[in-house]
Amino acid sequence: MSYQKLFDHKISGEAAKSWRAEGKKAVGTLCCHIPVEILRAADVLPVRMRATGCGDSTDAEVWMSALSCSFARGILQRWMDGTYELDGMICSDGCMMPSRTFDNAQHINEKLGYGRYFQQIGAPRVYNEMGIAYFKKELQDLVEGLEKLSGNKVTDEKIKKFVSLYNEERALVKEVMDLRRAKNPVISGEDALKITLAACDIPVEEYIELLKELLADAKNRTPIKDKRARLMIIGSALDDPDYLKTVEDQGAIFVADALCYQSMAFTGQCEIDDNDVLGSLADFYLKRLVCPRMLTCRDELHAFILKACKDFAVDGIVYQKMQYCECCGGESLQLEKLLKEIDLPVLTVQREEKHSNVGQLAIRAEAFVEMVEKGE
Amino acid sequence: MSANSLDQMLLDGKISIVDYSCELIGGQVARAKEKKASYLWTLEAQYTMWTNIRDAHKNGKKVVWFGGIIPTELLAAFDCVPVYLDVAPIRLSPSPELAGKFIDEAHKYCPSTMCGLDAIELGMTVLDQFGDKPDAFIYSAVPCDSSRTAYPAMQKLLGVPTFIVDYPYRRDERGIQYLSDQTEKLIEFMEELTGEKLDWEKFKHYMGNANRCFDLQIKNANLRKHKPCPLPGRFLVMNSAINAMSYTEEMGNLLETEYKLGCALVEKGVSACPGGEKHRAAFLQDMLWSSAGTLDWLETQYGTSVVMDTFGFQHGDFYEHMDDRKDCLRTMAKKQQNDPMIHGAAGPTENYKYLVNELFEEYEPDVSIFMGHIGCKHTWASAKIITDMVQEKFGLPTLFIDVDGVDGRYKTNEDIKSQISEYMDTVVNG
Repeated sequence: MSYQKLFDHKISGEAAKSWRAEGKKAVGTLCCHIPVEILRAADVLPVRMRATGCGDSTDAEVWMSALSCSFARGILQRWMDGTYELDGMICSDGCMMPSRTFDNAQHINEKLGYGRYFQQIGAPRVYNEMGIAYFKKELQDLVEGLEKLSGNKVTDEKIKKFVSLYNEERALVKEVMDLRRAKNPVISGEDALKITLAACDIPVEEYIELLKELLADAKNRTPIKDKRARLMIIGSALDDPDYLKTVEDQGAIFVADALCYQSMAFTGQCEIDDNDVLGSLADFYLKRLVCPRMLTCRDELHAFILKACKDFAVDGIVYQKMQYCECCGGESLQLEKLLKEIDLPVLTVQREEKHSNVGQLAIRAEAFVEMVEKGE
Repeated sequence: MSANSLDQMLLDGKISIVDYSCELIGGQVARAKEKKASYLWTLEAQYTMWTNIRDAHKNGKKVVWFGGIIPTELLAAFDCVPVYLDVAPIRLSPSPELAGKFIDEAHKYCPSTMCGLDAIELGMTVLDQFGDKPDAFIYSAVPCDSSRTAYPAMQKLLGVPTFIVDYPYRRDERGIQYLSDQTEKLIEFMEELTGEKLDWEKFKHYMGNANRCFDLQIKNANLRKHKPCPLPGRFLVMNSAINAMSYTEEMGNLLETEYKLGCALVEKGVSACPGGEKHRAAFLQDMLWSSAGTLDWLETQYGTSVVMDTFGFQHGDFYEHMDDRKDCLRTMAKKQQNDPMIHGAAGPTENYKYLVNELFEEYEPDVSIFMGHIGCKHTWASAKIITDMVQEKFGLPTLFIDVDGVDGRYKTNEDIKSQISEYMDTVVNG
């Protein structure tokens, strides 16, 4: 199987290492409102940062306190422990916690005199003309910052080339995720998350080839038949496939998601107006539905979840909330009402980045599967 | 009616928070008048605020709820009664039972780690127990993830015309322009809501009131730089009403009385600490609304004045050219950006660091306390950067205390005092 690399979900520094060995820059990105097309147009490799497998974030806790989201803390830990060997970090203010990961990493960088590149861009929280215009200016700052870092000129033509590539990536990921519509899908929820996590570290060109190989081989993969319940997973940033495995081991399969490290990071197609390339990117990144950080997206997000439940024939939803994650933890008030109307049960679980409550989660998942499973 | 039976009625859902507050403060005002108490002035502005809210509809005025920093002078110019939502949790926070009722209601739907301020605001909306339903709701994208979760949910529950002000993450010229442009849209929203064009003369009147309030707020803050600090820490809690009431004459009167009192005390060289000022403390995070008595205790027990808190620190942006619309809206944007809670907490840690540095430079505290409201997780996540700076630049070790500034059930007053005592006895006085 030539696309095995898609299932290596651990954080890999290989691509960044090779990239940097060629004298080019590789930069970590935090949150989903950073147009990676601009980075690539500057010949800078974007590495989407995550905390996968971070069991101990003690060092980061010293900086961010125990009252912080362990996902964001885990990323700082990974940054501090050298898992990421990168030339810098770019952050958009997705929610407050990754912004603090950025602040602390920047502070440590300055304190230790590393001289790495740090850039924060502000993404509006409303989608309207004024917001787009503001965001476009922020993106112009990003262009200038990256040009300075890389020494490369960012042109409209280069951006358009990478918009086209990333659009292809988005379409292919959708095709892969849509494989889960089948009665007996050929990929599990655990594998689906591994596949999208792989995009964090691999250059888009290589990732596209791997996805194509997977799709070409899809018909040869063994359909998963022994599952009793089709579930959707929603909620906080989740970058740990083992978490999904624990639930799936109880007889379920995740066939849909609304997660920022999974389907939501690849939604839509960016359409470029040749007369306003940066404006087009600003519009696309503000408009696309990723997470509840946008104040004007709640209804749309809920509609997306309801539609996915229907399209993927979902029997129940697992709503996982990271401890200290208010951004993604507050959907219950409206969403549960809507789900009740279509008689769709929800299992709400709290979690930490470290997957420690395996036994408890398994018991709750097993009971949930028994509740929602439908006989043939 | 006794406070106990009022509490019970609020707990039982028989009265609204507005009626509760009017009754409670009304009773306190009546008793203070009867006793000719010197503190009467501290109650009057609050009473006016709550009765204005209660009687708004009766007086033919529209009620506009707002969350985050929204310019009240503009809303008042449309003859509306602005209701700053934080006044409800701050009013209820001294009673763990009352605050708990609304917090628990919100926690049925939201993370239990959500800030108590926002939880109470959401809880009271779910239970429909604040008072009259507002005619409109305006909220900002700041200060934090808790408010960004609570406000949209409240918007849905209320179903009234709503306007969102999107605050930029960084505070700079681009942000000022972005906010100014949005204020033009806000004016259009208000014109549609009220069916009236903005009356600029009226607006000028309220801008004048706001200028007066902020001028006095800064003067009072400057008084606190005196050694000894003449004003009690408790006034810092009281002064935070400025975000709700800066458009009113009553707030100006309150601050003026405070200023006169402060000036008289400075002249006499009197401290707020009965036995004289031995130490000057800075609070590096939120105010301890649920236990304001701790500030009195610090003054009596340790001779320690709380000279300033980070989120009470004011910059001072004033309307200067009141006939120049563009200039007024830019000033308004600056005021919005420079509000301490927004400037310090809602943006990059650099802003917060700047604020703390200014506080230490100007007020010269010798006691540093990070009175960390647990709902303010993003300030906790900046705390080491901030307190390292305090240690390195000002040579002061900081006491960290985790508290819930709103929900007194989290930690008892005795526990809080005990933690402070250990620090005062061993580090400060040891």
